[in-house]
Amino acid sequence: MSELYSMHWRGAYRAAFLVVHDAVAAEDIAQDAFLAAVDALERFDRRRPFRPWLHRIVVNRALDWTRRESLRRRVDSIESVFEPLPPPGEIGSEMMAALKELPAEQRAVVVLRHLLEYTPGEIARMLELPRGTVNSRLRRGLDRLRETGRAGAVGEGRR
Amino acid sequence: MSDKSLARGLRDIPIPESAGVEERGRRIVEAAFAERQHPTRGGLEGRWRLPRLALALGLATLLAALLLSPAGAAVRDWVDEAITNGAPRPEPNLARIPGGGKLLVQTGEGPWVVQPDGSRRLLGDYETASWSPHGLFVVAAKGRTLSALEPDGTQRWSLSAGKRVAFPGRRVASPVWSPSGERIAYRSGFDLRVVAGDGTEDRLLASTIDAGIPPDARISPAYVPPAWSPTGADQLAYVTGAGRVRILDSETGAVLAAAPALPNVTWMDWAAGGRKILEASPGTLRLRPVWPAGHPTRPALGKARSLPLPPDASVVDAALAPERSLVAASITHWKEHGTYSEIVVLRPGKSARVMLTVPGSLGQVVWSPDGRRLLATWPGANQWLFLPLGRGQGRAVANISTAFASGQRAASFPRIDGWCCRR
Repeated sequence: MSELYSMHWRGAYRAAFLVVHDAVAAEDIAQDAFLAAVDALERFDRRRPFRPWLHRIVVNRALDWTRRESLRRRVDSIESVFEPLPPPGEIGSEMMAALKELPAEQRAVVVLRHLLEYTPGEIARMLELPRGTVNSRLRRGLDRLRETGRAGAVGEGRR
Repeated sequence: MSDKSLARGLRDIPIPESAGVEERGRRIVEAAFAERQHPTRGGLEGRWRLPRLALALGLATLLAALLLSPAGAAVRDWVDEAITNGAPRPEPNLARIPGGGKLLVQTGEGPWVVQPDGSRRLLGDYETASWSPHGLFVVAAKGRTLSALEPDGTQRWSLSAGKRVAFPGRRVASPVWSPSGERIAYRSGFDLRVVAGDGTEDRLLASTIDAGIPPDARISPAYVPPAWSPTGADQLAYVTGAGRVRILDSETGAVLAAAPALPNVTWMDWAAGGRKILEASPGTLRLRPVWPAGHPTRPALGKARSLPLPPDASVVDAALAPERSLVAASITHWKEHGTYSEIVVLRPGKSARVMLTVPGSLGQVVWSPDGRRLLATWPGANQWLFLPLGRGQGRAVANISTAFASGQRAASFPRIDGWCCRR
């Protein structure tokens, strides 16, 4: 478990963060995914790769979190005991700002495809979506990244 | 923009990490894995044995230090969510009671009944109240008057006692309805009295000062609340002025059993299917076995055993599970970095499980009627926390005092006077 943790923690945390844009939530989601893995070890088919299984949990939980969070923000101003997190401008880059403008569902498939390098078919299975939906979310996500103009600057423009 | 450039962009985005984020996760995951490899007996309550309680407390100390740092806000969520197995952010309103059942909640304006869907009703201007065994009625006290009410506030009967029967702010002085529904025990001045469930046959059971009652039969001046046997037999346990736990037949007044009580006992609970009595003082929790000794209606008291608590812990509240020998306790520690509180589930000499660790002070801890959840109150955060014992996520509800505000009075944080009833 220690080796698995060392091998996959950073990827899981990064993927979670790029979807939720919240460091504390990303930490919880990544941690929760590993705890789920520990719980399910006996049932896990060891012939199957661990990485996509873990990432499936991470991205689905990250999506759940963003849905809950957006609901929470819509329900008046909550007197939370927790202080607000720093605004994205302080912690991110142009790419981060561009990503943040995407809907969470599009962010998730962009991250799965371009950070974690899963194929659209694999992403469709992980998120239990039709492959066409994955492709359209990818296309729309990339279009919107290009539209912002920031993505080009961060991507090809910086080379 | 090519796929490669996008991938590089995503990989190169600087990701904020609070100090030690990876190591924190590693400790928790490795501890969970070790637990998995070497499971303890006893199901959920065996998940945290004592060394792990110590580990958790050490971790909590570290976290308490972190909470005071600039990264505190970020870490605070982690304290709540990691230690509590993923308790969510607080929901803004009490929309339902997780696990069902009805709550009886006492505020400065009086007792409120909270239905499973979260709807609530103020019963009237009473100072203290408790449920009848099946939640069909509420017994409420104000001044020198004891009343039985329907859950919509309609009064069924009332009696005027010679002395005060309500002691505001003191949960220990609430009248208590027996599980059979036949009797209600209540404090009146310095007396412990019993009245039938229909408001008749009111009589003295014990007193702190009555010269006609032998010293060992007098009730303790500290007034530890009496506890009914949960078996349905109308047997009542109370602490005498001589510092003994005594079980009486409330019908005949016959003494059925007696044993030395925990010194400075302040709270007593008789539950676990009638097999255990919990005795609590600010620094100690003890469980005492109760069993029928040769006669089904004549219980015997066994030797009490202390439950393991962290050193220097102060017990704020404790409750015995309805059917099992599990004690939930709300405890507070003072460390150099400040106060922090925990909800722990304990079993004598065997295992302990930390359910929740928070900075500041927690209040009450109450078992759900089916014994599968705990309700912990957190006055400083104005929240109730519903914690499942098994799998599943805890739920936090914010703005509790506002939920029970009405009229002109400023809303204060309410007290839970009961969670009713088993389905």
